[in-house]
Amino acid sequence: MPSKRSTISAKLSDKQPATAAPRTDQAIITTRSLCRYYGDDEHNKVKAVDNISIEIRPAEFTAIVGPSGSGKTTLLHLLGGLDDVTSGSVELAGTNIADMSGAQLADFRRDHIGFIFQAYNLIPVLSAAENIEYIMLLQGINNNTRKQRVEQMLAQVGLQGHGNRRPNKLSGGQQQRVAIARAMASKPDIILADEPTANLDSKTGIALLDLMKTLNETNNITFVFSTHDEKIMNRASRLIHIEDGQVIKDENR
Amino acid sequence: MLLIALAWRNIFRQKRRSLLTALSMAGGYLVSAFAISLSEGSYNGAINFFTEDHSGHIQIHQANYLKRPKIHKTINNPQTISTQLKQNTNIRSHTLRVFAPVLAYSETKNSHAQLVGIDLALEQQTSRLAEKIIAGQFINNQQNTAGYYAVMISSNLARVLNISLGDELILISQGADGSVANDLYIVGGIINNKNARTVYLPLNAAQLFLSLPNKVHQIAILLNHSGEAIEQAQHIQQLLSAESLLGDSFPGESVTVSSLIPKLTQAEKSLRQNLTNLTVSPWQEVEATFYQSMQADKRGMNITLGIILFIVFIGVLNTVLMSVMERTREFGVLKAIGSRPLQITTLITLETTMLASMSIVTGFALSIPLILWFKNTGLKLSQPVDIGGVVLDRMTGDMNLYVFLAPAIAMLTFSILVSIPPAFRAASISPTKALGSH
Ligand SMILES: Nc1ncnc2c1ncn2[C@@H]1O[C@H](COP(=O)(O)OP(=O)(O)OP(=O)(O)O)[C@@H](O)[C@H]1O
Ligand SMILES: [Mg+2]
Repeated sequence: MPSKRSTISAKLSDKQPATAAPRTDQAIITTRSLCRYYGDDEHNKVKAVDNISIEIRPAEFTAIVGPSGSGKTTLLHLLGGLDDVTSGSVELAGTNIADMSGAQLADFRRDHIGFIFQAYNLIPVLSAAENIEYIMLLQGINNNTRKQRVEQMLAQVGLQGHGNRRPNKLSGGQQQRVAIARAMASKPDIILADEPTANLDSKTGIALLDLMKTLNETNNITFVFSTHDEKIMNRASRLIHIEDGQVIKDENR
Repeated sequence: MLLIALAWRNIFRQKRRSLLTALSMAGGYLVSAFAISLSEGSYNGAINFFTEDHSGHIQIHQANYLKRPKIHKTINNPQTISTQLKQNTNIRSHTLRVFAPVLAYSETKNSHAQLVGIDLALEQQTSRLAEKIIAGQFINNQQNTAGYYAVMISSNLARVLNISLGDELILISQGADGSVANDLYIVGGIINNKNARTVYLPLNAAQLFLSLPNKVHQIAILLNHSGEAIEQAQHIQQLLSAESLLGDSFPGESVTVSSLIPKLTQAEKSLRQNLTNLTVSPWQEVEATFYQSMQADKRGMNITLGIILFIVFIGVLNTVLMSVMERTREFGVLKAIGSRPLQITTLITLETTMLASMSIVTGFALSIPLILWFKNTGLKLSQPVDIGGVVLDRMTGDMNLYVFLAPAIAMLTFSILVSIPPAFRAASISPTKALGSH
């Protein structure tokens, strides 16, 4: 079964104080001249991410915004160690993701990164509670702690009493809240969310984002999410605008 | 537990497909268990028949007697061995026999025949000879008033010589010392055997007739557990070796020259008596032709069953591959949130072996009544089959652990093997690609 959280995580946890962290804190994620190109051919090469150097600091609530095809998904996947860089680097607390092997990277994602997807992507045969529990099982957390934390997570996303339902018995908004709970359950350093509200109607979407914002403010959870919805991006405390794979504006609000 | 629940529920996602796959595996199990049961049952029936009927589980002869029987290849002083065998708790019984080809004469006819000298008491414990008497009775060791021994003959020989109970029979042969042996006997019993021409004499009468004082050609042994023939034969062989005879001659710690001399004399006597030149053969060697045909037949059957299971599992492979392809996105998610490739592999293998296990349980349940019927009733063959001299006339089923376990293990092995390609496929799914696929 999976090992305990690696030392990097321990370091990061030390550096995450209980109160909101000042912006000067050491970055959770640093990218340096990050590039991801598709296609070998010079003529039809797609520069999905082109020379991006950014830092994500603890307790930030960052939105990556840009038109369709601008490279938001690609950038989030690179930040989460799901995709291979073409050049440049992604560092998580000083460790270059490119230096890690497959299993190391898997453990790294398990312990340090939470994912929320546009299409919820819960495991259909597992109940809401089991979906949340699964990742803690991978971490080797004992049964009691798992069960306890599942209840806690369900409560935090406002789904007490819904734990036994399978995803197909939950609304889209509820499923996405389970996805948030699943992402938080492993106590990651950062949660990456690719268009988490795109499949939801605008009211539900805003409610979901407010939930994320609350979790960010009360629990200091660091979020990076992508969107092209004005109302959604307005709730972010930092906006990174990208176009054609390049950062065109990076503003704190 | 969650992993098992996950695997379990995944199986039931495509109920119809899983059911069909499970049924095909259950069918494969049923066929395999049934075939093994029949083969084991029929062969074991035949083996029990000939070992208990006449051959015993183990035979002792002078080396090479089995290949080239000769009257002078004897076991000398068989009482020594007989005493040892009686003390061996693994041995149910044993008996002593001499053999010789003879010419048999009745008043009007003559024929070649096989003389078998038997220890009257031991033979009745070790073979079914006594049960096959159809006329007269099991002979005793008494000469009649005229000084003639009573003998038993096979019904075939009685027919050929045209004699029956109470008639006289003259046997002529060559004694071990080269002399001409001939004597007159009275038919005291007839043994049911329509094929062989055999004359059974009391052991001492046969030894006298053949000038083989205190010598026999064969010791046939019945064990308590028929399955131990090979091990027990080795064990007895060891006991008969020169080392053990010598070893037995030095029981104490203190050895003096004067105490050595009688022991060495004893050992030398044993060697002279040829006790050490004996071969102990399990029935597998005694009935080597049968044994080899049986082994070849079982191998052939196992290969056939292997091929059947292989075909079944190609279907299973297809099912598993399909179920992996359908869930590409899900495996992408599992990997993205931190499952190691090996954990994905485990999940697929678990699903496959769980499905196989359910099939095995189903196949097992279905096979029990069938196998029970064949074990208890069986089928009589309309045409008996002769396998290397042993006649199989019944199809019976055996019911033991091997019958059920062998196909189960084969199927679990197959299911693990078959799950490997899809498992690796699932494990190598790229999360970015999987998440991109809608
Ligand atoms: N696997 C791929 N192979 C080739 N090109 C790709 C691949 N994935 C993405 N791209 C291209 O890279 C560019 C960036 O894509 P990406 O999906 O990151 O954009 P996005 O900002 O997430 O768009 P959307 O808002 O539509 O989700 C696009 O031009 C896209 O066509
Ligand atoms: Mg996208």
